[in-house]
Amino acid sequence: MYGGDEVSAIVIDLGSHTCKAGYAGEDSPKAVFPSVVGSIDQTELDNVKSEKDFESNSDTKGKHKFYVGSQALGYRRDHMEVKSSIKDLTFVDWDIVENIWDHAFRERLLIDPKEHPMLLAEPSFNSPQQRERAAELMFETYKVPALFLAKNAVLTSFASGRATSLVVDSGGGSTTVAAVHDGYVLQKAVVTSPIGGEFLTECLMKSLESKGIVINPRYSFKKKETHPGEFQTIDLNFPMTTESYKLYSQRVIASDIKECVCRTPDSPFDEASYSNIPMTSYELPDGKTIEIGADRFKIPDILFNPSVIKTIHGMENFAPPVHIRSLPQMVIECINRCDVDIRRELFSNILLAGGTASMQQYKERLEKDLLEEAPQAARVKVLPNGNTTERRFSVWIGGSILASLGSFQQMWFSKADYDEHGVSHIQRKCP
Amino acid sequence: MDAKDILGIPKSSFPGSLEKKPRPPRESQRKPDGISRELYALTGGLAPLMPSSIDASHLKPKHQAGNEKITWQWLPFTSSARTDNLQLYHWVRVVNGVLPSGDYSFAKYNKSVDVVKYTDEEYEKYLSDPVWSKEETNNLFDLCERFDLRFVIIADRFPSSRTIEELKTRYYAVSKALLRARSLSPSDVSTHPLYKETYNASQEVERKRALAAVLSQTRQQERRDAEILSEAKRITESRNIIKDVEEPEPSEVVVRSPGKASIPTADCVSPSSSDIGAPTHSSERAAIPQSIRMLRACLRTYVHEQMVQAANSSAGVRTIKRVDQTLEDFAVRVKPKVPTRAVCLENLELRKEILILLDLQKQLQYKEQEASANLDGSYIDSPSTPKDRTFLPDYLGFGGERVNKRDHKRKAPGRFSDAPPSPPLSRRPKKLKASD
Repeated sequence: MYGGDEVSAIVIDLGSHTCKAGYAGEDSPKAVFPSVVGSIDQTELDNVKSEKDFESNSDTKGKHKFYVGSQALGYRRDHMEVKSSIKDLTFVDWDIVENIWDHAFRERLLIDPKEHPMLLAEPSFNSPQQRERAAELMFETYKVPALFLAKNAVLTSFASGRATSLVVDSGGGSTTVAAVHDGYVLQKAVVTSPIGGEFLTECLMKSLESKGIVINPRYSFKKKETHPGEFQTIDLNFPMTTESYKLYSQRVIASDIKECVCRTPDSPFDEASYSNIPMTSYELPDGKTIEIGADRFKIPDILFNPSVIKTIHGMENFAPPVHIRSLPQMVIECINRCDVDIRRELFSNILLAGGTASMQQYKERLEKDLLEEAPQAARVKVLPNGNTTERRFSVWIGGSILASLGSFQQMWFSKADYDEHGVSHIQRKCP
Repeated sequence: MDAKDILGIPKSSFPGSLEKKPRPPRESQRKPDGISRELYALTGGLAPLMPSSIDASHLKPKHQAGNEKITWQWLPFTSSARTDNLQLYHWVRVVNGVLPSGDYSFAKYNKSVDVVKYTDEEYEKYLSDPVWSKEETNNLFDLCERFDLRFVIIADRFPSSRTIEELKTRYYAVSKALLRARSLSPSDVSTHPLYKETYNASQEVERKRALAAVLSQTRQQERRDAEILSEAKRITESRNIIKDVEEPEPSEVVVRSPGKASIPTADCVSPSSSDIGAPTHSSERAAIPQSIRMLRACLRTYVHEQMVQAANSSAGVRTIKRVDQTLEDFAVRVKPKVPTRAVCLENLELRKEILILLDLQKQLQYKEQEASANLDGSYIDSPSTPKDRTFLPDYLGFGGERVNKRDHKRKAPGRFSDAPPSPPLSRRPKKLKASD
């Protein structure tokens, strides 16, 4: 690499659905795991023998024991609650965050944080307090030599080699539309919406429930081989399982259904035209096969046409805290909040990021809807950045590129800086 | 196939279709010129992929192993672009135990913009402004330095909401004031780009407003606008056509009125004058230069032609020719040479009168035919007619014109032998005959 200089920096992107971590300079993260943890309230487990150490990341600080990683989460434990570190687009529980980072460093990447500068990816509208808290945690607990906080939108933009672009980030917990100009996010123009991949999964679950399809979590049955090649499903009963864990396991299966089967419709969804759609079959883990028809197109259409939510059984009472706009409307709003001179450039450089954006026909539908609403004078172009699997990691990839550049090495916020100027200096250093 | 040829074995007796098949693919593999066919076939039928001789100087020079001892070490480095002394580690190519010296190779890319700095006194003396507080100005300059004068981002991060134009105005004003205050001679100042090009905030605001208006029209609105415009175009075009058709009507109406001896020439003059009035009026002003007069003259001839055409349109081709011929016979140009108002009017008048004359002559002919048919041979001598005949021509001022016409038509010998044919009219009979 001509402009590159490897200093073995680590890039961590803690999203609302998955956490991605890996070395800078590589093209994909080494560690990808869910960013929810299982936690057991320690006081209730006085009479339960402890788990094997290598399987769990036991943090006996306070009264909670945390289990991080899909392997640890996949094992059902009594009284294990599933908690998320992010709620309403901000970090709420810093314990959980610390545990997740621990797991990433010690168990997945096998590094000592003292030796590696860290690049953290943060949401585009992060508040200053959150940034300071993250910096404190990194410097005090992990004693990293240098740190940098970069915004998600900027990293996505760099991943496709552009300094100015409009980034549409459809992640797990939310959808964010942000404008990046010359490598800086225009903070007054960031538009968010609480509809993300998780919400779509929930809608799908409700819709399947209303049709009478029951999703059995993986732990609740076991298959016994009665004859060679034939299996019989036996239901197991675990009364001590928490509700949140059950819900989490069901969601895992439902999101797999969503990823396999759902497609964005080419035009706004209406019941009549999609009533004769051929059904796709999907086999659940317990052997049952289900047929999914119109839901395949209805669920993704929520992003483009939020009024569809009301038509889903079980979601009629959904009352969002803020008025939800459709994705094309969010894009137009974001652009209109920006200065007039850069609007044209933003229209012609629209980038997609996030796991939900890797749905089929997502890009085509967004382009079509935007062409309708955008002014004639602007040339609307949604860029085909990366293939669909790369869009999941585009933030991480941008971070990997940034941290391995030679001219970036002067921008780190070092420990010496932190000691000298205090944590608020990070606002200047990391714009 | 060649081997078989050489050995003399006759070609296989397969049907011709098989022979035809291999021909098209073989055509594509035709040998290149300059090399014999068999030789080309030896190379495999295609040009070789590798060049036959590889020039070693084109390749990278190989490292001579053993001359130097090269190791790669994971060593700390510092960069002059950093203000603290953070030491990060990277791989370094160490030659013979000697570390490479010099600054970090990427430190030279650390460029920044020179933003003026001012002290408090300077602010008090030169830079105070009613709209901007000192704190805001300090803030602005701090942001300018951090973001390298990217005003879009500075406006975004500025705590209070000020527009980009306001920020830029303040920045340029402060820089100019400081430059003037600090410079030793006024000549330096005038050549500085800050003074050569001034920042015009109001123009920027206007420009941005216009741009926003352009960009805020959605596609649907534009489609509607385009539809409306095309509709309007169609309407105006149809209106123009109607106007053109309506124009010649007043003069036509007057010409068609049959048989009246006293033609209300004044009437026919006035509507035509009102139509020609517009171009002719202005020419009577003395001050108009020649070119405009010429233009008006052209216009007038054009309008005159139109009037003539309109007047003739009801008459038919023959009569038009007759009228033209009549004019020529009287040595009057068909198109007036000097198209002043009076001349044009007179010309039109003349044409109309000729038309009426011809019309009346025709009517007279018919009547006489009828009369002669009725009074076959009995009343050859009708005394009234000569009076009429002579009367009318006298009135109209054309002498023996009608006389000759009738004469040759009816072929009645010697009835009206008094008027000899005048020389200009000698052509007339032929004409009349042809037209009759």
